[in-house]
Amino acid sequence: MADRPRISWPNGARVALWVAPNVEHYEYLPPRDPERNPWPRSPHPDVQGYAHRDYGNRIGFWRMLEALDRYDVTCTASTNLAVFEHYPDIGKAMADRGWEIMSHGIYNTRYLSSLSEEEEREFYVDCVETLRRHTGQQLRGMLGPAVSNTIRTPDLMADAGLTYHADWLHDDQPIPIHVEKGRLVSVPYSIELNDVPVFLHHYDTDDFVAMVKAQFDTLYEEGAVSGRVMALALHPYLMGMPHRIDGLEEILDYLLGHDLVWQTTASEIADYFLDHYYDQFVEHAASINEVPHAR
Amino acid sequence: MPANRSLGMDHPHYEYSPLPQRSDLSWPTGDPLALGALVLLEHYEWEPPSDTYSLRNPSGGLFKLPAPDYLQLTHREYGHRVGIFRILDTLEQHKVPATVAVDKLTAMHYPWLIEHLQSRSCELIGHGVSASRLITSKMTEEAEAEIIDESLSYLEHVSGQRPRGWFSPEGVESSRTPALLAAAGVHYVCDWPNDEQPYQMTTPSGALFSLPLFLEVDDEFVLWRRRANLSSWEKMLISAAHRLNADGQTSARHLMLTLRPWLTGQPFRIGALDRALSSIAKLQGVWTAQGSEIVDAFKASTKAN
Repeated sequence: MADRPRISWPNGARVALWVAPNVEHYEYLPPRDPERNPWPRSPHPDVQGYAHRDYGNRIGFWRMLEALDRYDVTCTASTNLAVFEHYPDIGKAMADRGWEIMSHGIYNTRYLSSLSEEEEREFYVDCVETLRRHTGQQLRGMLGPAVSNTIRTPDLMADAGLTYHADWLHDDQPIPIHVEKGRLVSVPYSIELNDVPVFLHHYDTDDFVAMVKAQFDTLYEEGAVSGRVMALALHPYLMGMPHRIDGLEEILDYLLGHDLVWQTTASEIADYFLDHYYDQFVEHAASINEVPHAR
Repeated sequence: MPANRSLGMDHPHYEYSPLPQRSDLSWPTGDPLALGALVLLEHYEWEPPSDTYSLRNPSGGLFKLPAPDYLQLTHREYGHRVGIFRILDTLEQHKVPATVAVDKLTAMHYPWLIEHLQSRSCELIGHGVSASRLITSKMTEEAEAEIIDESLSYLEHVSGQRPRGWFSPEGVESSRTPALLAAAGVHYVCDWPNDEQPYQMTTPSGALFSLPLFLEVDDEFVLWRRRANLSSWEKMLISAAHRLNADGQTSARHLMLTLRPWLTGQPFRIGALDRALSSIAKLQGVWTAQGSEIVDAFKASTKAN
């Protein structure tokens, strides 16, 4: 970070902010995965876990939508694409608002980690076609289903025509990801500014709000030197709860109350980076790695 | 069966219903929010039968100890001996009529307590046989139907009334449970925490309604599983009620609290419930009601059968 080419975002923005509601369906009776059990509390079904998440699609999404609309946020919805088939009302609400739909797989209970290369290739074809069929959108990026991946994922994503990958937490800026063919960039997502891990443990809404503000303050200050990316990861079944929604409004009010914020989508960030900085970043990384180690 | 990618839910128990698509709901009092409390009396057995299933990490105690785990078992029993009276007193003070889920072994081992609950006009609902005998897909349909009938019949036998409501032990169901509950004459079930309004379930026989609990403010979920501190729980209860009260102006909502006497009934915790209910009581437009009253009012408002 200290020695990189400087990024300047459009209109002198210091922080590119993308807001990512995760719109999901967890299956009632998911197929058995050899390595990961989505419902370990009891033999399947786990109606408590299932219904907890189902709340998001019945109630939480709609309450969250009112808050996002009030602040005119253009979201990048991390979407289990079967949501378009199960809940067309939700699909339409997202498409009508011009949100970008990012793939979050088909279901949150079907993981990439156990797929063969052939199955994973078919998975991308399915994702691309499903999104096109329901919205006309070209799929641009993915956050792995329930954040699962394989070692082949970046290559296969690039092969399938995707531009960005959101599973890399290693930076505050977009970064080129090496792939065999084509170009792929990471757009930083967050597993910290994310209501799931925060509310999994003892933190509450006030803590989440404080974390988001502090993160933003630091990035906003640093972004005066070179542009930063900030992701806000949300889940309607958590942040759409009646006792949490005020926290989301407070967050949006604070972040969007700053002038030099570019509130945009993940693909816009990826495209801007590809057009202006990708080559410089590749060259810079190569130059760093050429420096012989001093012993 | 894994989901097939088609319209609506991936199970047969209810229809998908996004809130904005529903017709407006109103309570008989015209209030925007119905507030209820489900109090759980769950019996954990010292020596459960070997063919039964319990949670791997049930709450209470220090951490899972080899059986017999005196700490977990007696921590839970504190609710039946002491905590329940604090909870009932606090609810009565704020005029929230209690709905109490009672499992069969509780009814069997604590007959005095059942009479006491009746003398305080609590609504009793079915809660399986015990918390160490969960209803799961591992059991046969016959065994499950037997557990359901046994629990309801025993409560009817000791209280003189067939329960209208049901909450499965630890909220765990098999994929057959809603159908079997409806067949056993149960009127409403609290196992599905997915909504802020009741809704009708779809079953092959009998009419069954879902009365969702509010898992994210459930005392065990917040205080035990998430280990949130007591003052955040108090704030959650208050802010949830405030927001539901405001959103309920357009279409009414319910807030069904889940309270465990062994947990919230501890001396250091009871004050948080008391303060939260005091604050909620200051809101205009809160109808306090028992589970079956809320479900009946839902039926009347939506003209469901």
